[in-house]
This record gives sequence, C-alpha cells and structure tokens, in this order.
Amino acid sequence: MMDIIISMGLTGVMLAMLGMGLLISYYGSSKTRNVGLVFLAIGIGLVYYITSVDDSAVHFGNAFIAFLGGMLGGIIGIVIFLVAIIKS
Amino acid sequence: MDMATNIADWDWMNFFVSMLIVGIGVALLATGIFTSYFGAGKSQKIGFALLFFGIFDLIIIYLLTFDALEGIESIFDSELFTDALLSGVSALAGMIIGMFAILFVLMKVDTVDDLEDLDLEDLEDLDLDEELKKLEEELNQADNSKEEEE
Repeated sequence: MMDIIISMGLTGVMLAMLGMGLLISYYGSSKTRNVGLVFLAIGIGLVYYITSVDDSAVHFGNAFIAFLGGMLGGIIGIVIFLVAIIKS
Repeated sequence: MDMATNIADWDWMNFFVSMLIVGIGVALLATGIFTSYFGAGKSQKIGFALLFFGIFDLIIIYLLTFDALEGIESIFDSELFTDALLSGVSALAGMIIGMFAILFVLMKVDTVDDLEDLDLEDLEDLDLDEELKKLEEELNQADNSKEEEE
C-alpha cells in the first residue's frame, strides 16, 4: 500500500514539474525561464527515478489509468453540473 | 515499478471504469453540496438533485464492489478497487504538492527583470517637449470637433 502511495505521489509531483516547467521555461521572462528549466530538470530526474525503482508490486499502467479515470470522471461530473445549471 | 506497456494487459475494468464512476460521483457530490448551499430557488433544487445523484452513484459503486448486500453480485474486485482509489488520490495529492512547491519557489525567486536589461536607446531618442505638444494638439482638435458637432 505504501509503495503505491509513494510511487504515485512522486508521479503526481513529476507531472506537475514537467507541465509547469515546460510552460514557465517557454513563456517566462529571462529570470523565470531559468527557474522553469530547473523544474524541468527535477521532473526529468523524477522520471528516471520512478522508472528505475525496482518495485514490481506496483503496476504503473494500472495505477496511471486509475488516475486518468478519476480525472475524466471529475471533468464529466462538472460538465453535468454546468449543463444542469445552464439548461435550467 | 512494473512499467509493462502492453495496454491489452491493463485492468481497465477494475482501475479505469471504477475510478471514472467514482470521479463522476465525487464531482456531483461536491457541486451538489456547493449549489444546494449557496444557490436559491431553482438553482438550489438542482443542487439537491446533483447531491442526490452523487450520493446514489457512490452507494451503487460501494454495493458493486464490497458485497454489502446479498443478492447483488460484485462487478469490481475490492482489493484492486482499493489500489485504484489509492493510486488516484496519491497522484492527485502529489500534483497538488508539486504545484504548491512551484508556486512557493516562484514567489520566493525575484522574477522581475533588472532595469539594466531594458533597452533605453529608444527612450533617449524621444523629445518629451515635442511629444507633449503633439498630445496637446490632439486633445485640442478633439475638443474643437466636439464643439462643432454641438
């Protein structure tokens, strides 16, 4: 159980670092761009760490589709809410 | 971590579909609570409906997973469902922690460019008196045209 929590928690941090790092390093000003590149480097380091950890108990594919499913479900729920409010 | 990439081997039913339904239920529950509390009149009624469907959705997924009632056959494996829930919540928590870390660093780092970096050559070429006269003339012309119209 702790393996899943740690590995998927790190995956979440990795996604945030890579996504925000890309945005900041592309759109940021000269100083912010350097910070964005640091975030990107941290994200890539986390990718390397997550893929190299020898822990076969956690199936990354299944864990990731669970995360995607939850996100997609949340988006669908909010769309239902918006449709209900707008149509009323 | 098992990084097997064969999509056909992934357990879509127990991991993706179950979390999709849970996600819809949680979103309906949250928006239902919000709308029924802050809404008025028709909006409040919609809020109660959303709240009802959110609770109903979560009860159904509980019954279909944990064998809570006799006669209802479970669709999802309870252990895998727990793993899927843990995975989703952990990844979400990780993303939130990552975003907070990024915001903290961005707020602490001096992100304003130095004035030395500014290209001041354009400003040196400007004759401020001349610019001011042009501006006054434009304003006077605008006033005159208004008076003529009246």
